[in-house]
Formats: sequence, C-alpha cells, structure tokens
Amino acid sequence: MIRFTLNGRLVETDQPPDTPLLWLVRDTFKLKGSKFGCGAGLCGACTMHLDGAAVRTCILPIEDVDGAAVTTIEGLGSRADPHPLQVAWVEHAVPQCGYCQSGQIMSAAALLAANPAPSDDDIDAQMSGNVCRCGTYPRIRRAIHAAARKGQGA
Amino acid sequence: MSGPGHGRAPALTRRTALKALGLVGGGLVVGVPLAGCGSPPPAPPPSAGGGLAANAFLQITPGNEVHFVLPRTEMGQGVFDGLATLVAEELEVAPEAITVHHAPVHPDFRRPGSPAQGTGGSTSLSGHYAQLRQAGANAREAIRQAAAAELGLPADSLAMRDGRVVSGDRSWPYGQFAKAAAGRPLPADVELKAPADFRVIGRDRPRIDAWAKATGTAEFGLDVDFPGLHRAVLVRCPVAGGTVRAARTDAAAAMPGVHKVVTIFNGVAVVARSYWQARQAAEKLEIDWHLPELAGVSSPDLRRRMERALAEDGSEAHKAGDGADALPAGARRIEATYWAPFLAHATMEPMNCTARIADGGCEVWVGSQVPESARGAAAHHAGVPRENVRVHSTFLGGGFGRRLTNEYVAEAVAVARAAGVPVQLIWSREDDMRHDRYRPVSLVRFAAGLDGDGRVETWTVKRVGPNIAAHFTDDLLETIAPEFLPWGMADWASKRGHWFFENVMVNGSSVHGLFGDYDFPHQEVRHVTVDAGLPVGYWRSVGHSCNAFFAESFMDELAHAAGRDPVAFRLAHNAHDPRMQAVIRLAADKAGWGHPPAGRFQGIAAHNSFDTAVAQVAEVSLDDDGAVTVHKVTCAVDCGIAVNPDIVRAQMEGGIAYGLTAALYGEITLADGIVQQGNFDDYPMLRLDQAPAVDVHIVPGTAAPTGVGEPGLPPIAPALANAVFAATGTRIRELPLANHLSFT
Ligand code: FES
Ligand code: FES
Repeated sequence: MIRFTLNGRLVETDQPPDTPLLWLVRDTFKLKGSKFGCGAGLCGACTMHLDGAAVRTCILPIEDVDGAAVTTIEGLGSRADPHPLQVAWVEHAVPQCGYCQSGQIMSAAALLAANPAPSDDDIDAQMSGNVCRCGTYPRIRRAIHAAARKGQGA
Repeated sequence: MSGPGHGRAPALTRRTALKALGLVGGGLVVGVPLAGCGSPPPAPPPSAGGGLAANAFLQITPGNEVHFVLPRTEMGQGVFDGLATLVAEELEVAPEAITVHHAPVHPDFRRPGSPAQGTGGSTSLSGHYAQLRQAGANAREAIRQAAAAELGLPADSLAMRDGRVVSGDRSWPYGQFAKAAAGRPLPADVELKAPADFRVIGRDRPRIDAWAKATGTAEFGLDVDFPGLHRAVLVRCPVAGGTVRAARTDAAAAMPGVHKVVTIFNGVAVVARSYWQARQAAEKLEIDWHLPELAGVSSPDLRRRMERALAEDGSEAHKAGDGADALPAGARRIEATYWAPFLAHATMEPMNCTARIADGGCEVWVGSQVPESARGAAAHHAGVPRENVRVHSTFLGGGFGRRLTNEYVAEAVAVARAAGVPVQLIWSREDDMRHDRYRPVSLVRFAAGLDGDGRVETWTVKRVGPNIAAHFTDDLLETIAPEFLPWGMADWASKRGHWFFENVMVNGSSVHGLFGDYDFPHQEVRHVTVDAGLPVGYWRSVGHSCNAFFAESFMDELAHAAGRDPVAFRLAHNAHDPRMQAVIRLAADKAGWGHPPAGRFQGIAAHNSFDTAVAQVAEVSLDDDGAVTVHKVTCAVDCGIAVNPDIVRAQMEGGIAYGLTAALYGEITLADGIVQQGNFDDYPMLRLDQAPAVDVHIVPGTAAPTGVGEPGLPPIAPALANAVFAATGTRIRELPLANHLSFT
C-alpha cells in the first residue's frame, strides 16, 4: 500500500508501484487537470508538485511518492480562490487551446515559490521543459513577471 | 500512381464523388453531402431552464441565465469567446454572462453555406458574423417587446443594457420577460448595430474560456470519465494502411486489469481498467501484418522520385499572359528549386475518443473538428442508424487540421463494440506522431524572368507532391459514405479521388499560395502528382504553409537579383492589392526596416491566405560559431474588423510559433514506410527559451472579419530564411533550416 497526501488529503492505493503518478491521479483519483502529453518527460503537460518541486508525473512511479505531498492544479487554486499566477494567466489571456496550461502554471508556481522575482533567464531555465503547441510563450513570460510583481507588492 | 480510367464510372456515383471532391478550393469545405436527411426535429434548447429559446443558438431562462450553443469547436483559436461575443454584442449582455455549450450534431449548427458541421479553413468568424449577431438582435427585440407589453410602456422607450431592460431609473433583468417572450411571435431580421455602436466587438477582453483553462477545469476529450469506462490502447501497423494478418494475444490478455483483447479493422486493441494496464499489456502483443505498398518507400527514394517527376510536364493549375512561353533566356532568367518535408501536427492532446454502445444507440465524447463526420463514423462502426448516435463535443487540445478526420472515432467505436464495454481509446504520443495525416512533402521549381528595369515579367512554378483532397476523400468515404454506399463502392469512389486530382483537376491546396500575391504579367503554375501513399492532411494553413516559404523566398532572390530592396521590390509588384501593400508598409515601419540594431539582420515576407493579409519581419543575429538567434518578429495583419483584437494578436503569435517550429525543426521521414519520429525528442518543438518576442499590429478596419487561425503562419518561414540570407549570404531552399544551420 502506497500512501501520500494529494492536495492536502491523505490517500492510499494498492496500484502496482511502477504506475506513473499521472495515471493514478487521473484514472483512480479522478483529478483531470493534469494532462498527458508525451509520457516521456519531454513536454511538461503532466507537471505536479512533489514536496513543492515541479515534477513530470508521467514518468514518476508511485513508489517514489510514498509519504510525500503531491499538489495538482486543482490544489493550487480555483476560480473562487485563485493562485496569483492563475489571475495573471487570465489577465494576460495566456491560454489558447489550454491543454498545456495546467503544466505551465505548475512549473511557474514552483519557480515563484523558490524565486519570487525571476529574471528572463530564470524563466527560460524553469519553463523550457514545458511545450506549448499553441505558442503562448510570450504571454507565459509576461504573466509570470506580472504575478511576480504583484507578489512583490509592486 | 494513376487509377483506372474514368470510362467505367457510372454517372450517379461519379456525381457523388465529384461532390465529395467539392473540397478542391483554397481552404476547406467539408463536402460529402449526406443524402436523404429529411428535416430533423429542431435541436433541443441547451438548458432545462425553460424561458425563451429564440433560435437554435440562444436561450434566456426565467432565472436570467443566457445560454449560447457554440456551433464551431474550440481548439485554441478563440471561437468560444469570439462567437459568444457576436451574440453578446446584439443581445446587450456581457460576454462573461453567457453560458456556452458545445453544439450537438444538427443541421442548424452547420456554418451557413457549409454542407457539414465542421470547423476549419479559418472561416468561423466570417461565416457566423451576420448570422449570430442576427440571432442576438432578434432575441433582444423579443425580450424588449415582451417587456413593453408586460410593463405597459412603449417598446421604443425601453433601453436594453447589460442584460437588463431599462426605463428611466428602473430596470428589470431579461429573464423576467423570458416566459412572456416565448409566448409571442418572434421578431425576425431586426436591424443590426452599426460598427460605431459596438460595445464589446473590437475591444480587448480576457477570453471567456481563460478561467477554465487556467484552473484545469476545462474538459478535453481525454478528461471524459464515468463509472464502468474502460481504457483502450490500439496497436496499429507501423506502416500506415497495413492490416492484421495474425495476432498472438494470450500473453497480453493474461496481464493484470485486462478485460479483453480485440482485433478491429486496423489493429489489435487491449481493453483494460486503466490506461497504464492497457499500455503495459499492449507491449505483449505479437502481430503479423499485411503490409501495404508504402512499406517499400523510404524518404531518400521518394525524394529522387519527386526530382525525376520535375521533368514531367504535369497539369496546368494557373496561367496568365503567355505563361512559360514568355520566359527569357540568359541572365534575366532566374531559376531555383525548393523543398519542404512531411510534417506531423503534434497537437498537445493526443488523439482520443470515448465511446459507449447501448440500447441500439451509440454515444461518443470527442474533440473533433467535424462532429458530423464523427457521427457518421460512429454510426457505421457501431452498426446503428445515424439518428441514434449522440456526439458530445469537448474542448480540443489543439486542432490545427489534425482533428478534421475521425479515424480515432471509428477505432474507439469499433473497439467498444468488439469489447462489449464503454471504452476510452487513448493514443500515445508515439501513436499520434506515427499515424498522423501529415502535411504533404513538396518539391517546387521556379523559373522567372526579369525585364530590363528589374521587374518580374514572368513567374512560373511547378509543384511535385501528393494531394490532400484525395486522402481526405478516402477518410470521409471510409467513415461516412458506407452509410449510403456499399463498402466496395466507397473503395471505388475513394480511388477515383486520387485519379481525379491526378488527371482532371489540380487540387487547389496543392498549389495555393504559389501565385496570386503579385500581379506579374505572365504566370504559369503546373502540377505533377507524386504520392507514396503516406496519408496526408490539412495542416495549419494547408498548402500556404510551405508554398509561402517557396514563393516568398524566391521573391527575395529575385529582389536581390534585381538589386532592389526586398520591401520596395514587393510593393512594386502588388499595386493591385492595397491591403497587402498596407501590411507590408506597416510591418516594415514598425520593425524599423533597413535600420536593424547593430549585429541584427532582417528578412521580410508577406502572404495572403484565407482572405487575410499578413506581413512579417524577422530579426536575427549570428554568433561567432555561426549559430542563429531569432530575436523578434514584427507582424502586421489585416483581417477586417478584429472582434477581439487580443485574440487576433494571440493567433498571430501562435501561428508564428507553430510555423517557426516547422521552419527550424519540423521533419517527418520514412524508412521502409515507417515514420521515423516518435516523440518530442526526435520531433522537437520550439520552447520558451527560443521563442522570439512577437510584436503584432492590426490594421484598423470595419469590414466583416476574415480568418486569423491560419494566416499568421505562412510568412514566418520565408521571413526567417530571408533574414538568414541577410545575415549569412546563404540562401537555404530546404526546410527545416536546422538541417543546414544551428539555432540558439
Ligand atoms: S506528459 Fe509528462 S512530460 Fe509530457
Ligand atoms: S495552449 Fe494549447 S498547447 Fe498550450
């Protein structure tokens, strides 16, 4: 039995230990905000936080999650109680098809948590693992800077 | 690869096939007419809340909810917001106050003038611009008149503002009069607002689907779930078109969680409780395939075959003046050969479909660009009549033309039927990369003649490659036509499609964009079909995606040969097209054409597609190792009135990123008929660290809107290649550019 917290709630599963976290969260716990894009750690669509760090969950076996804290986009914020990045994402009209955006926001949230005022280079380094086929990159950069400025009280 | 001659064609079937081939024009017209539809009952209102259902699109409930049925599918291009905005403008409600529903399949939800319910060709806003404003205006007047009667006030004394009926300092919500309005005759043809009175059209607003997409709550096809739903993984022949000869399935069937292993028309599927179990078990399948002819094709041979075909005369696609006869000999004649590879769409959401067959009916949940053909495919493969099929559309995790075909619907339904349980069929990224409908490979040769003043007098071009319409016809006939044609006939008709485009008529999208932007006196465009059998399809901006690269790179060559500035040279050849002149001037002006920052180099390209004019200037630099950095793209667009200007900008940014990915890296190759690329490691994507700044300028306009989903793409590859030429002096005539240069 593998136990961990999912968005603050203790969960347990008897799924095979090599099951990727993404599929456990989607198929078993029915949280659909985290997406499947490549299944190979190459696109970031499946990004969640594992003890605060952004991880690619399509290649993260659940045995590595035992005892850890996992946060998904659903745990990050909601329309009623949004994370500042989600507000910035709407204000800057970042999403197009929207499919990559949960992963983009989770990667950006981990960045801001560690580095409240990231430079363009910091953003490049953190965000280049997330593909957006719709090409929302310039807006992602702008929205991260905007959320960072708000977080700094500017 | 010519098919049999047409002498044997029975007239009726040929007419059907010809109609099916009505998609020969520039963009996309989805065109298999479905005979014998009769008139179906009206589409049900989108909510159970009652009140006024003024037309198929709009419902205002007594509880004051405004429901709008979105007739097109949302794949990022912004129709969810854009079409709701058209309704909101005339209805006098805030777009944010509208609840949007994805439309069921119903003739009312076809784009006016279109024979099937589909989304493509950058036509949604232009196609619905008048219709949906009219729907909103009529509903607004229905409420106004009901309110006037209820309140005992003259209708023209009531103002309609922000979802409320206003009289002096009193106001009432629309919903209060919804029931009364439903009991009265509905006003028709109410006069529409003048553009000067628009409150929401033309204004920047955050798009109304942004919250759902920023909080992970927007439902895509892959997110559909319900109790009892199984997941399926399908193993297809590595060579497209192959079928199962024999399969050993016992090892897979014995794997944990597996419900059943089933063989369908194109492969073997494992149906299990979870995707991971199905995927693991699929590894254990051993399948022996019937291989199609394509198995003998590898990219280098195909390229040689296409090069040989350049010597053929081909068919005439376009001619003006004396055509090639006007070509001069000697130094004033300039020739060049260009190449572009197959490309995959690689939407972020891999193909998928959820299907349930029960009680003589079939339900599918899918993000498709053509829900109407999804319905036809489902009906055929479930073995139920079309009217017993319900298609539930979801958001699309990217479309780009990929979701114009519905083979994943056919597969999911076939698997559900064979397995006896509802299934969600999920393609892996590798499945998606290796079983796409690819942007066709193209080889073109130009020959042009300059006059004594350095003007282009003659422009000739021959294109060699496959025709999309022939393959699309196959897809449609295989999924829809069987309902009214026996299988043998469908097969016959689809082969006629290939033959037709080789022998009778040039497929418009094979050559569009190779001519038309400039008014050269003598022009000739010829076409030679070479089709290896790899399925090809509509890829964002279709033929323009590479034809603009060819034509606008060659135009740059001619400018340099004539010793003219590339901007001035273009303007000297398109006086007939003031919109194009304006976007070229605007882009050049905003980019500081001719005065790049130190160490930077510029290239320009301009192109009309889908009735929208776009010009782009790319700015690059070169490092000491010769690696190129793309710093900035300045883009000018004329798309008539911009309904939501911020979405127009976003679509230009998106088209540029999609086109830049293709220009830098995109290439699908074949070895023994098998696609060599599988995931984002060997089919790389533009990423944030390489994404240039994009500066978009919209020509102000009040004319009816034209498309923006595709036109932002075509100019970027030539603008970039022209900038690379400015920087390096090397003219790269083949895509992707990264085969010739490195990029940082
Ligand atoms: S789905 Fe996990 S990185 Fe792509
Ligand atoms: S918004 Fe479509 S992939 Fe990023």
